[in-house]
Amino acid sequence: MGLIKRIKEIESFQIIDEVSGKRYKFNDLPEVSWASESQGLVFCYLDNSFESISFLLKALESRHVLVLLSKTLSNNFKDALEGIYFPNYIFDASRSEISTYTKIGSVLYYKISVKQHVLHSDLKVLLSTSGTTGSPKLVKLSERNLLTNAEAIAAYLPISNTDIVPLNLPVHYSYGLSVLTSNAISGATVCAGSLDVMSKGFWENFQKYQYATIAGVPYVYEMLDRIGFTKMDLPSLRYFTQAGGKLRDDLVKKYGTYAIEKDKLFYVMYGQTEATARMSYLDPSALLTHIGSIGKAISGGRFKVHPETSELLYEGPNVFGGYAETLEDLGSFEAPDFLNTGDLAIIDENGFIFITGRSKRIAKVFGNRINLDELESYVSQHFSDYFACVGWQDKTIVIFSTNDHCQPKDIIDWLSKEYKLHPSSFKVMSIQSFPLTANGKIDYSTLTRAYDN
Amino acid sequence: MENNQKLVHAFHEALGIDSNLIKDNLTYQSIPEWDSISHMILISQLEEDFNVSIETDDVIDLSSFKKAREILIKLGINF
Repeated sequence: MGLIKRIKEIESFQIIDEVSGKRYKFNDLPEVSWASESQGLVFCYLDNSFESISFLLKALESRHVLVLLSKTLSNNFKDALEGIYFPNYIFDASRSEISTYTKIGSVLYYKISVKQHVLHSDLKVLLSTSGTTGSPKLVKLSERNLLTNAEAIAAYLPISNTDIVPLNLPVHYSYGLSVLTSNAISGATVCAGSLDVMSKGFWENFQKYQYATIAGVPYVYEMLDRIGFTKMDLPSLRYFTQAGGKLRDDLVKKYGTYAIEKDKLFYVMYGQTEATARMSYLDPSALLTHIGSIGKAISGGRFKVHPETSELLYEGPNVFGGYAETLEDLGSFEAPDFLNTGDLAIIDENGFIFITGRSKRIAKVFGNRINLDELESYVSQHFSDYFACVGWQDKTIVIFSTNDHCQPKDIIDWLSKEYKLHPSSFKVMSIQSFPLTANGKIDYSTLTRAYDN
Repeated sequence: MENNQKLVHAFHEALGIDSNLIKDNLTYQSIPEWDSISHMILISQLEEDFNVSIETDDVIDLSSFKKAREILIKLGINF
């Protein structure tokens, strides 16, 4: 059964447009006039406005294959991605025209593709492995992936069909998308156009609409801590969820204690775009006795730890159908037997999983997953020199440089513009020469230690 | 440094924008550079530069350059 078919059967599902205050049932959503009957590839540059959410749902209902991306992606990245995948349709409110495309809706563009797309019949949605970098590497997901993961999430979260849920995370991001899908199939009401938690308006709307829940990546919980969330009077809040990276243990404890005192439920969860979104959650009743754990697998999923590498492996119906990096990759859809999470883990005697490290070269900065090898080649290409990059404490990306004609400020300014990340996310460190490992590769652990000092 | 200049400098550092863009009518989220992340950085910058502690309510209330000055005045900084 399809995801949208399921959502349409749920009578109570509604979307509130916080900007206009209007409420919509699925059948009230504005129709999208596609230019052609045939199946095509649709690039959806989204924000969380009603227009975006409505388009996303109607596009999911259509027979097209969708690539979900951020509206704020830089134009360079947009051009590069479009040059690889040749979308037939582009939904983008941030551009008033797109060269070689015809405008067929207020923000919808169309072109008969010069390339013949071969789209695998299981392929429905592609998500970026990183929200901001415009990496051409996309995660291939089927409608079954989306539906089974939404069902597994709805099975453990206390979602009620009377809930009103802000979409305060981007829907082009797997966690944000899962908030939409899991609440929609449960018949809750979602709010489009929600503000971010640092806006006064968010808290005014919290009271106005009586939000039942909040979802956040670690830095959202850092912000909530700074604005005294645990001291606020929020009677409508029943539960709140955290995923998208490791939250500091002391904050897990603080929020967990708050939840018990105020009779709310706090869910620490773990997932990855390659698993559609969710792989595990920690039951709130076990939270305070298992701080730092990602809990246990969701229903239908199973973990094991590789006996030699300690890498955490996952299997379940939500495991993706492989990556796409070229147009040809859209013609295949093959789920691996096990998903290599790239995280190192141990499982305790009671089955609780603890992440102990990371095997892939990935940094998380303000909730954005950054592939360090990609960033390294991107910055090296732009400045025509070789740079080495490491992530430091999931806060900073350190760029090591062996020349002095590239000004650190220029590198940081350029990176923060391209990646849409705050300049303080990057540090440039100059070194004499790059340390190498025995087999002649850059020795990143020595570089990390050099920055530590 | 005179306090108004110091305030402009704090905004310039935290938001990474040109000083001539920093005026009373500059508001939170009116420009892409002033988002939730840079807002957190701005709050820390103001606390450090003016040696004050900004209360939780004021963190959200500080939604414009003008408002920042008002909050600092409330905390005993003279402009």
